[in-house]
Amino acid sequence: MATTAISKAEQSYIQTALLSDPPLRTDGRSLQDFRSVALETGVAPLANGSARISVGRDPHDGSGGTEVLAAVKVEVESVEEGGVDAGRIVCTVSCSPAAYPQLATAALEDLQYDMTTIIHQTLSHPSLHPKNLRILPGKKSWLLNLDLIVLADSGNIYDALFMAARAALWDTKIPRTRAVEYKARKGVAGSTGVSAAVGKLGGSGDMDIDEDTPSGFDTRQIQHAIDFELPDYWDEGEVLDGRDTWPVCITLNLVPPVHFLDAILREEAAAPLKVLLIYSFPTSEKPRVQGMRMLGPSELTLEQIKDLVNRGEQYARNVSTALHTKLKDEDVRRNQKAREKFERR
Amino acid sequence: MISFTSFPVKLDNNDYSYTRHHPGIHDDDLMDLDTDDLLGADGSRQTCPGESLTSSQAYMRGHGTYVDNEEVIASVAGTIERVNKLVTVRAISSRYNPEVGDLVVGRITEVQPRRWKVDANSRQDAVLMLSSVNLPGGVQRRKLESDELQMRTFFEEGDLLVAEVQAFFSDGAMSLHTRSLKYGKLRNGQLVTVSPILVRRLKSHFLTLPCGVDLILGLNGYIWVSKHVKESEQEGEEGFDAEAVYSNQNDEIDASTRIAISRVTNIIRVLASHFLPLTDTLLLQAYEWTVDQEGGVQDLLQEDFGDALIASITSRE
Repeated sequence: MATTAISKAEQSYIQTALLSDPPLRTDGRSLQDFRSVALETGVAPLANGSARISVGRDPHDGSGGTEVLAAVKVEVESVEEGGVDAGRIVCTVSCSPAAYPQLATAALEDLQYDMTTIIHQTLSHPSLHPKNLRILPGKKSWLLNLDLIVLADSGNIYDALFMAARAALWDTKIPRTRAVEYKARKGVAGSTGVSAAVGKLGGSGDMDIDEDTPSGFDTRQIQHAIDFELPDYWDEGEVLDGRDTWPVCITLNLVPPVHFLDAILREEAAAPLKVLLIYSFPTSEKPRVQGMRMLGPSELTLEQIKDLVNRGEQYARNVSTALHTKLKDEDVRRNQKAREKFERR
Repeated sequence: MISFTSFPVKLDNNDYSYTRHHPGIHDDDLMDLDTDDLLGADGSRQTCPGESLTSSQAYMRGHGTYVDNEEVIASVAGTIERVNKLVTVRAISSRYNPEVGDLVVGRITEVQPRRWKVDANSRQDAVLMLSSVNLPGGVQRRKLESDELQMRTFFEEGDLLVAEVQAFFSDGAMSLHTRSLKYGKLRNGQLVTVSPILVRRLKSHFLTLPCGVDLILGLNGYIWVSKHVKESEQEGEEGFDAEAVYSNQNDEIDASTRIAISRVTNIIRVLASHFLPLTDTLLLQAYEWTVDQEGGVQDLLQEDFGDALIASITSRE
């Protein structure tokens, strides 16, 4: 865990203020207040989806703040024998050395690995898997690469990472595909013609004309589609299936019995324990806990954890709702921008 | 609880089909540019790293520049300055340039044999020698081996201290000293960091605001905001008490003082983000204004409130 060294006096100053009545924080926020979060989608023109987020940047000169850049790129992958059929998601987090100048290269790699593990394990979980990553059943699928870069860390990095990941995945457009199959033309032996089957995943071809299958008793459903093409060039494709369900993370910083959200680095250094709770809020179902981590040397009892999980759900719901609204606004903004650009031409 | 904002809109003006000039410049003037294109009409021009400034045959390179392929090239972003044939670039933001006698606030990063390394926002870590601190049992005393063995009881990693720049080493690192009762370990408050150029040299860098808050303005841009300690209660000359001077324990601080400390901290942040140099009168005006507005401490984190604060205190001058 990356912590800035703080003196014992500072540590006790922060802790005593949190435990006093009413609890006080060093910058005057209440315990559940977030710093303002700036968010923008569509920042990387070559990515299928991207987002940039900055938590707590100075509103006037834009300095400070935890800054994360996330981008999604999909690539075509051949499904191997017995491999996963429905596409894969791979998440990687890398940290800019400028974000952690106090860390040596090895320590930075450790930190990157920790962050990658949490993000990857959570987001590539089958319960969140989008259905439209398959191209040709059993043959081709999309491999979705989500790359996150930590540009600056001024506290609460995990929440920022998950918000950036969700925004980038929300923004992701998967190119539309159409299956292509080859058929032998009737009568002309050896020559082939190409016809495109209607439908995204392709249908089974016309069995009668296939002269290469000599047996009339073969009744298996044979997939004839062997390749695909990208039919349209005028839009970027369709959004990921189930893009409302991507989770948000909430970090509870604990100075027992008090917990607070969105800690700055100094507060993180003063709190002996952090609990990460990762929630997904599907529209139709009940909220799901997608992940949970405890970071830090201290420990908790089961009752405390139960209480925190309940509180965390409430906080996460607020974050999720606010983020959802913001992402919709971003879509509107970008559509408008695209339309203006189109009109100018 | 949580609010989302947008990044400021970038200037989306990619129309370079024509070049805009200052109205004072006529087209035929542009021909003369290569004689003195270094500086603009008002005598200053901005540059960024890697930009070629002029030929090294005609000019000499100064700070913030280097020579490559017989060209003087800027190595920092800033304004170009020229004195006769010497070209320098003054950086927009830089690290702290120490001078002997400066008051700095620093943080211990390392404990080494007979010395501490101190982060003071400079290019290199500063050094605090064991012989430059006050030791328990009187100011004038020889350093003993036992002192060397218990250096961490004086300062340990992460501790904040206020000190004065004593001298420089041959490699340019500064040597600090805390041999005054005003200097030493810091407690009862919090640190706020601003750009070093915003702290000007003042008569005294120990300020006391009437709201019960003490300020130590380090010239390196580190500012310590703490609870006010009365003169009489400060550790006296004769009764030098090592326990008190090197203590890690905070005093009892009441809620109103804590709120005042947070308020002053946020005001300093707002002033720094608007690039206003810090003075005691400015801070006091700002403090009174925020109290008059009956705003909470956290309101200062919002942009419009901060802008209103700046507008009100700059209009008074």
